[in-house]
Amino acid sequence: MKALQERLWAGLIKENPIFVQAIGMCPTLAVTSSATNGFGMGLAVLAVLLCSNAVISLLRRFIPDTVRIPSFIVVIAGFVTVVQFATEAWTPALNRSLGIFIPLIVVNCIILGRAEAYASKNGLLASIFDAVGMGLGFTLALTTLGGIREILGAGTLFGKAVLPAGAQPALVLSMAPGAFIALGILLALVRVVQLRRKGAVAAEGCGGCDLCGEGCPMAGKEADA
Amino acid sequence: MESLLYPMIALGGLGLAFGLLLSFASRKFAVPVDPKVAAVRALLPGANCGACGFEGCDIYAENVAAGKAEINRCPVGGGELAAALAAVMGTEAEIQERKVASVRCRTSCERGIEAYIYQGIRDCRKATVLPGGGPNACSYSCLGFGTCIPACAFGALSVQDGVIVVEGRLCVGCGKCVEACPRGVLEMIPVSQPVCLACNNADKGVQVREVCPEGCIGCGLCAKVCEAKAIEMKNNLPVIDGSLCVGCGKCVEKCPVKAIVVTPAGEEKIGARGE
Amino acid sequence: MHWFELFFGAMLVNNIVLARFLGVCPFLGVSSRMGTARGMGLAVIFVIALASSMTWLVYYWILEPLGITYLSTMAFILVIAAVVQFVEIVMKKLWLALYRSLGIFLPLITTNCAVLGVAVLNVREGFGFVESLVHSVGTASGFMLALILFAGLRERMAESAHDVPEALRGLPLSLVTAGLMALAFMGFQGIF
Repeated sequence: MKALQERLWAGLIKENPIFVQAIGMCPTLAVTSSATNGFGMGLAVLAVLLCSNAVISLLRRFIPDTVRIPSFIVVIAGFVTVVQFATEAWTPALNRSLGIFIPLIVVNCIILGRAEAYASKNGLLASIFDAVGMGLGFTLALTTLGGIREILGAGTLFGKAVLPAGAQPALVLSMAPGAFIALGILLALVRVVQLRRKGAVAAEGCGGCDLCGEGCPMAGKEADA
Repeated sequence: MESLLYPMIALGGLGLAFGLLLSFASRKFAVPVDPKVAAVRALLPGANCGACGFEGCDIYAENVAAGKAEINRCPVGGGELAAALAAVMGTEAEIQERKVASVRCRTSCERGIEAYIYQGIRDCRKATVLPGGGPNACSYSCLGFGTCIPACAFGALSVQDGVIVVEGRLCVGCGKCVEACPRGVLEMIPVSQPVCLACNNADKGVQVREVCPEGCIGCGLCAKVCEAKAIEMKNNLPVIDGSLCVGCGKCVEKCPVKAIVVTPAGEEKIGARGE
Repeated sequence: MHWFELFFGAMLVNNIVLARFLGVCPFLGVSSRMGTARGMGLAVIFVIALASSMTWLVYYWILEPLGITYLSTMAFILVIAAVVQFVEIVMKKLWLALYRSLGIFLPLITTNCAVLGVAVLNVREGFGFVESLVHSVGTASGFMLALILFAGLRERMAESAHDVPEALRGLPLSLVTAGLMALAFMGFQGIF
């Protein structure tokens, strides 16, 4: 049970896909012009992530290693098609505002990344919790960014006006450049929090190779390398 | 029935067609792979950090398999990896001695002579293209702005009193700092070499004295007194062959400007003489 | 002048990275050095041209006649994965230097939203074959243009990295810079 809770916590905070891992940037920038869109996209990705992680975890012993990635993509594409039609039928407004980014969930690095890194190596229950954690983390990030952009860019939140009547919102934040700038500053703020919390890591001064994080071979080693 | 049949045929057909195309392509465009390269590559950690000096584990594996790279260059894998690689390569691989970086300059904030006050970008690459080769009077010297420091993945370099200092224990010998230095002040020397050169100035004696009281004047005394004939004068600077040097310390004693210094490895042999 | 508008509209006005937010991951990942940026840009142009032609054919010759257009997402991604794998095999044999410098980014073009995005856009806009080809190449050229410009900026920024506050160093600053670039590119709107 502890391990499952750890997965939830990791996805939400410690290994948050947007704030910490910095993957899955495309939909993050594109759909966060409002908090509702961000939230909707987050839930769509959560749904696909949940289903694909579950199926891939169940099939993990049967998929040959050489055709690993194409098989994952086929499974994910199947579920994305289902979500595509579900949103078209039940939430047409959301479908219109998310536009082509719904079919593009197929190539979202987060889903493929979790399938590759976790679901293909762990059991069903753990994979489900991992999917829920990452999906919720993604939704949290998207809703936060969407909320900030909507308040400052359009003066509303979830469609309801929040700024006083005379205030002029910064329109640029609702548009393309604002997405980049807002996300950049948000990531910088997250980094400030991380830096304050981080004690001195023995591997400080490393160049940051691909094994950063849990797999760091230099962590804990004294400078007597 | 059609609604099930058509998708199955369409997707199945596409998959089959592409599968055939790809297997044909992989055979027609096959690149012969040396099994030794694959064996070496499988042992490497796969971090692609570049600390070995090659751009990634794949390239390092190829060079090891071809006998062109030492098996102990990977700091991430460490000693265990080197042992495993030795087993794969057999006795064919030459284990060259580890090299460390050495700074060919002993300037300091106080003793260094400045040509002008510099208030520009504190980056050696930017400063060195200015007239006179930067704010230091000696255009071969270490500027101390630390462009080499981020090039070191292991934090072995730091600026102390206006000049770069190498922490030998942290240096793995990848050579990235040497590439980063725009003035060629850094060089790689074998870790056990007892003495090293602390000047980079290739000008003749008179010009050197104008810009630095401790710069090598190219007198050649070190080459004359060397018992092991390990020193050769080239471009007004001594070139020390680490494999021949026996650590007698005569060059350090004889140098009139003290441009040859004892390395940490040499302190055991020579004692901290010569300063 | 329909082709002209189509090409430059796709390249500048609706720049795929700076206006449409497709292909942002490789944009931020590959653009730290000019050499890799150029190679990646060329590879993407080639892959997009090839992939979008093939997906157009698959859509209009197989999916539509059989009435199974709902499978387009799956079929497109299959085509793209196969095309990228094919390009990788051929490149490894015929152009090893480029293959080396692209490293892991080549298989990553499969999951590049730009490739799938362009394929889907071509169908949604109802382009003919030549129109979709012009649109695709224009889009990919816009990707390469943005990539090269950004690489130039990033190389310069890397040299003065120590002046940047630590929290902003790296990705956050790159994002803000990309935002300013996007702002500049907005000036192309209304040009046609």
